[in-house]
Amino acid sequence: MSTETPTVEFSDDRLLWAVGAVLVLLGLAIIFSGLEFGLSGIILIVIEVGIFFLLYALLVLPVNVQFGVSGLVNFGPVLWFGIGAYATAMLASTGSYQGVTFGFPWPIAVLAGVVLAILVGLLLGVTTLQLRGDFLAVVTLAAAEILYGIVEKVGGFGGATGIGGVPRIFEAASFPMTDLAVTFVLAGVVVFVYALAQRITDSPYGRLLKAIRSDEDATEALGKPTFRYKVLVFIYGAVIMGLAGSLLALYNGAVSPGFITLDVTVLVWIGMLIGGAGSNRGSVYGLAIIMGLQLFTRIANEAFPVSQSQFAALRLMIIGLLLVLIIRYRPSGIWGNPEEREVL
Amino acid sequence: MGVIQSVIFGLQLGSYIAIAAVGFTLIYGVVNFINFAYGEYMTIGAFMTFITVNQWGLPAIVGLLITLVVTAVLGWIVSRIVFVPMQGTGAIPMLMASIGLGMFLRNFYQLIAGGEVRFVDIGASQFEFDFLGGFFVSTQHILIISSAFIIFALIHVLLTRTQAGIAMRATSHNELLARASGIRTKQVRRNVWIVASALAGVSGFLIGTTTFVSPLTGFNQILLVLAAAILGGAGSAYGAFFGSYILAFVITFTTAYLPTEVSGLGETLAFAVLIVVLLVRPSGLADVEVEA
Repeated sequence: MSTETPTVEFSDDRLLWAVGAVLVLLGLAIIFSGLEFGLSGIILIVIEVGIFFLLYALLVLPVNVQFGVSGLVNFGPVLWFGIGAYATAMLASTGSYQGVTFGFPWPIAVLAGVVLAILVGLLLGVTTLQLRGDFLAVVTLAAAEILYGIVEKVGGFGGATGIGGVPRIFEAASFPMTDLAVTFVLAGVVVFVYALAQRITDSPYGRLLKAIRSDEDATEALGKPTFRYKVLVFIYGAVIMGLAGSLLALYNGAVSPGFITLDVTVLVWIGMLIGGAGSNRGSVYGLAIIMGLQLFTRIANEAFPVSQSQFAALRLMIIGLLLVLIIRYRPSGIWGNPEEREVL
Repeated sequence: MGVIQSVIFGLQLGSYIAIAAVGFTLIYGVVNFINFAYGEYMTIGAFMTFITVNQWGLPAIVGLLITLVVTAVLGWIVSRIVFVPMQGTGAIPMLMASIGLGMFLRNFYQLIAGGEVRFVDIGASQFEFDFLGGFFVSTQHILIISSAFIIFALIHVLLTRTQAGIAMRATSHNELLARASGIRTKQVRRNVWIVASALAGVSGFLIGTTTFVSPLTGFNQILLVLAAAILGGAGSAYGAFFGSYILAFVITFTTAYLPTEVSGLGETLAFAVLIVVLLVRPSGLADVEVEA
């Protein structure tokens, strides 16, 4: 009998890295060239919603690797997003109306934000990854609520106003140009993170994560240190989500509790479930559907100036209904693989 | 503020959380999932306060009884449409579906009722006392706290003295065994949905009389209800009852006694208590068996 050496086939991701690099360079070119041209109102709305789509894409990819691939119900992506945002903002801000600030150079602030996110990921991971799936959801959810409570209520975090005066490192010639540049840079970062997530999912490590999702006890019986692997997934996620928060602070120049509400977690989760948990591409597409609906209502609202809150309510009703229908009739999501659906 | 006053506020908050937490935990035990849409069941009760007391001018106690029936029926209908056909798909898909349902209902209320906040005056009278540091009790406090205790007595009787309640406990403890013993678990689940929806309605009604009525009334409490139920030991009605009062006292005493910089952290601290309990004792206060 001939022995076959198992080979690992990576999807060729060099193209992705190249696309990502081009996008980031384009963004930087806009910033440093001082280029300026007019943009119409609708394009500006598209860009504004697009920026948040890209920031949330940096949350949905790690959540998908954690839940879709490994089966860990992390219900607090906004916790790490918030840690990155607040740590970066407070350390880098050169003077905020409210709250304690330090005025360090921004790269140090970003680094500190990511390190803090890792530490929290490690702490939560080591202590709670032994809990049952839905309890893990409760702990991560509660932890995110605790962060929200602290930044809103404890003095020094700026209260409801938040932290301002963060250096806006993406400042271009004018306000619309800044947004355009940030869109390119963020799109590049999302492509990088997508390539990374794809690589993790396809690697031997990724297959092990899927094995943990399918049957953790069996995987452990094969001699795999499942607990360590689960903690590692939590830490990888923490890095990316913390970084997403840092980028929010540095783009926006300010952070406030309004950016880190439970709604962000819900949006990210719904996007992933609609697109297809377990598929990196699917979860990003799903998020795009949700943000696309948001964009559509924003533009439609511009055209028919009826009550904005009624419009928003209608949109959220549609999203809620869509989620229920997807879970019921296509639990693997629109782009998910129905054969890989132990979790859902 | 005297200690007694804080205790009264704690009892008040604990009471309406506990009523909801008992319903929440029954669903968790018998239907087996974390129902994030439960807050929206409570909101129906809150709107019923506004309709029965403010618009129809009924006394609060009559309104409460009407609310109980209406929410039991509405809650059962909603569950019948969304959750009953999903039975057996697992805890996580049902949890996700409940998030979608909650979002749908919350915004549906918003669409038909508007976002504004409505206040309900049940015409409570207030009794002031000068001893023990001075405190006051209103008929509202009495209504809420006594409703809670009457409901627990009823739930206790239901769970220990009636066939339907014993079947609920059996199903909660081990569904397969219950079915093997001839218990119709499908009917048990239906009963649980009816009871839990009614409890949500009562809790929402009481919240409506104390704070305000808005499409988010229930949603604002859901995390606390969830925390209380899990703290008590998911699935245990008695645990949920004690868990609620513990959280309520944590919240009222932090607000009353800690320095102002951190006194707003009551709820935050309640979540911290939840996390610590889950880590130290995942089975909760009532020591419920937890499958790993």
